[in-house]
Amino acid sequence: MLPHLACLLIDRRRATALLAGVAGWLSLPSGAFAADAVQMISHRYPALEFYAERMREALPDVEVNTQLMPHDKAMELANIAMSSKADTVDIVYLNDSTFLSFAKNGWLRPLDDLFEKYKEEFGLDDFTESALDTFRYDGHLYVIPHTINTQLFFYRKDLLDEAGKSPPTNFEEYKALAAEMNSPLRAGTISCLKPVDAGLNEMHWYINGLGGAWFDDDMKPVFNNEAGVNAITMLGEITANAQRGFTSAANDECTIALQQDVAVMGMQWASRAAAMDDPEKSNVVGKIDWVAPPDGHQRVAADGYALSAFSKQDPETLFKIIATSSNEANMREAASMILPPRRSVLNDPELQAANRHYPASLASLEIGQAFPRLPEFYEVGEFITRRVLQAITGEMEVKAALDAAAAETEELLKSRGYYQ
Amino acid sequence: MHTQRGLWLFLVPSGLVLTLVLLYPLGYAIYLSFFNYYLGAGERTFVGLGNYAALLTDERFWSSLGKTFLIVGSAVSLEFVLGLAVAFGLYKLTFGVRTLNLLLFLPHIITPVVAALFLRWVFMGRWGLIDGILISFNIFPPDWLGSPGWARMTAVLADAWQFTPFMILVLYAGLNTVDHSQIESAQMDGAGNWTILTRIMLPALRPLIVFVLAIRTMDAFRFFDSIYVLTAGGPGTATETITLYTYALAFRLLEVGKGSALGVLTLLIVAALVALLILVIYRRERGAF
Repeated sequence: MLPHLACLLIDRRRATALLAGVAGWLSLPSGAFAADAVQMISHRYPALEFYAERMREALPDVEVNTQLMPHDKAMELANIAMSSKADTVDIVYLNDSTFLSFAKNGWLRPLDDLFEKYKEEFGLDDFTESALDTFRYDGHLYVIPHTINTQLFFYRKDLLDEAGKSPPTNFEEYKALAAEMNSPLRAGTISCLKPVDAGLNEMHWYINGLGGAWFDDDMKPVFNNEAGVNAITMLGEITANAQRGFTSAANDECTIALQQDVAVMGMQWASRAAAMDDPEKSNVVGKIDWVAPPDGHQRVAADGYALSAFSKQDPETLFKIIATSSNEANMREAASMILPPRRSVLNDPELQAANRHYPASLASLEIGQAFPRLPEFYEVGEFITRRVLQAITGEMEVKAALDAAAAETEELLKSRGYYQ
Repeated sequence: MHTQRGLWLFLVPSGLVLTLVLLYPLGYAIYLSFFNYYLGAGERTFVGLGNYAALLTDERFWSSLGKTFLIVGSAVSLEFVLGLAVAFGLYKLTFGVRTLNLLLFLPHIITPVVAALFLRWVFMGRWGLIDGILISFNIFPPDWLGSPGWARMTAVLADAWQFTPFMILVLYAGLNTVDHSQIESAQMDGAGNWTILTRIMLPALRPLIVFVLAIRTMDAFRFFDSIYVLTAGGPGTATETITLYTYALAFRLLEVGKGSALGVLTLLIVAALVALLILVIYRRERGAF
C-alpha cells in the first residue's frame, strides 16, 4: 500500500493522466480517438447528462470527451487532477459549494474576460444575477451556471389520499407520518445518508430546519449545540422508518426507491422529479407529488461548469463549449429536468405550467438555504457525515458524535489558517 | 571465485526495478511524512515527527487500526480454517480433485474490484440477490451493508470468498508433501483423521502455515478495493480500515504529509505483526524459519 501511495504522490500528474486517460479511453466511442479531445469530468443526473451531450455537439470540429459519474467520485477525480496541476481535465463540473475550494486553491481560470467578450453572442446577461453571484469568489466569476436546484419533498399522493393524510408541514408531522405509513415492503420514508454529499444535504435540512446552524460568525462550529443535537436525534428517529441501506444511499438509490414503489416519501432534488414520471424507469408514474419541504431550510444549490487553470486547450474554445451547452434553446429543452438559471426560461409561464413539479420547486426556492460559503465545507463534511452516521447507527451518542465532529472541524479549519 | 562475483551482475536489472518502483517511492513517502503538506495550498512545512505524533493521538487512527485488526484477524482466521478443511477434504478425495480445485480457485482469479461489485449486488439491501430471495419468502434479513456489525461481517465474508481459494491451493500442495510413511505408521497405530491432521500434518506444514498466514496478513492489511466498493468504510466508520483512512487523508482531505506518515506507520505495524507471527509459531524452535 505504501509504495503504491508514494508512487502516486511522486508523479501524480502522470498517474492522473494515466487514470483519466484510461477512464477516457473506456468511455470513448469507437473511432473517437483524437489527440486534442477536450476532457470534461462531471457529476451525473438526467439534466447533467443532457448538458454533457450538448457539450459533445457544441462545436463541430472539437471532440469533447465527457466522463460522468456520481458526485463523490467526480470530485475525487477532479481533486486529484487539479491538485497535481494536471492538464488532463479541461472542463470540470462544480456546484455552489465545491467551486469555492477549487477557486481558493487557484485551480480554476477566472471567466470574467470571456464572459464579457461573449456576453452578446450567447446572451449571457440572461442569467439571473443571483446565479452568477453564487459562482463568484473574491470578485471573480469562475463557473457558468447550468442549473438551479433545490430539494423538494416527494410524496405518494395516492397512498396519502387513501390514508386520508396530507403531506407534513413540520418535522414532527413527518416523523409521525413516516412511522404510520411504514410497512415491511414499503418504507415510510427515504433517507440518503451516504457520505459526503448526500449525507451533508440531508443533515443540512435537519440542522437548519430545526433551528440550528453549522457555524457562527467566526466560522466556529456550532452544529453540536442543543438545536443540533435535537436535529440529529430527530434524524435518527425518522430514519427508523427509512428504506433498507439508507446509510449508504445517495441520490441515485433514493430516486430508485421512490420510482420502484419501496418508499412513501422523503426529500430529494428537484432534478429528480421528472424521472418519477418516466415510464421507462418508474413504476409510480403520476402518483408522486411534491411540496416545499417541512420546516424549510433545505439545501438550495446551483451547478455549472468551470475551466481548469491548467488546461492546455484554448480557453475561448472551452468557454464556447460550456456557453453553447447552456444557451437558451438548450436550457429550454432541459427545463423539464431542472430549474434553469436563465430568466427567460425560468419565468416562462408556459414552461411553469407544463412541468408538474415547478410550483413546488419555485416555492421551495423561497424557503431553502445554501451551504455555508466555506471552501472547506466538503472537507469538514467528511468528518461530520461519518460522525453523524456513527450516532445514527448507535455506535456513538449523538452529543458525543457531534462534539467529536466539531473538534475535528475546528482542528482542520485552524490548520487552514482560520481563527488567527 | 571470479564466476561467483560475476553472478551478482544478474541481480542488477531486478535491483534497479526494485529501487525504482519500491525503494524510491518508499523513501519519498518517508520524506513527505516529515512535512505538513496540504496539496490545495501546494506548500510544504517541515514538521519533523509532528505528523506521527498527531496520528498517535488521533482517535480515528486507533479506531481504524482496531477495525483493521478485527477485520483482518477474522478474515484470515476464517480463510485458514476453511482453507485447511477444504484442502484436507481434497487430500482425502480419490476422484475429481483437479476439477474441484479449479472450480474452487475461480473467485481468486477475479479482479478484486469486480469481485466486490459482484458481492455488492449480492448483499445490497432490497435489490440484492440475498435480499431478493429472502424477501420473496417474506423473510426480512438484516441490512448487510447498512448496519455496523453486519457491514463488518460482510467485509470479512467478501475477503474470505476471494482468498480462501489461495489458502486451499497452498495448503493442499503442502499436504501432498507430508511424508507418507509417517501417516501410514500412525494409521497402523490406530490414529484417526483428526489425529493425523493435528499431530502429523500440521507440525510438518508449520513453515508453510507461517508463510501463508504472513502473506495473507500482509495482503489483508492492504485490504482496500473490496471495502471501498462494498461500504466505502461505512456506515460511519464501521468498516474504515487503516488503508481507507490513509486514502481519506491523502486523496479526500489532500493531507499528503499525514497520509504518508500513516502509510509508514502501516508498514511498521505489518512488519511487526509478521515478525510476531513468526516468533509465536516458532517460539520453541528459534532459527527454524
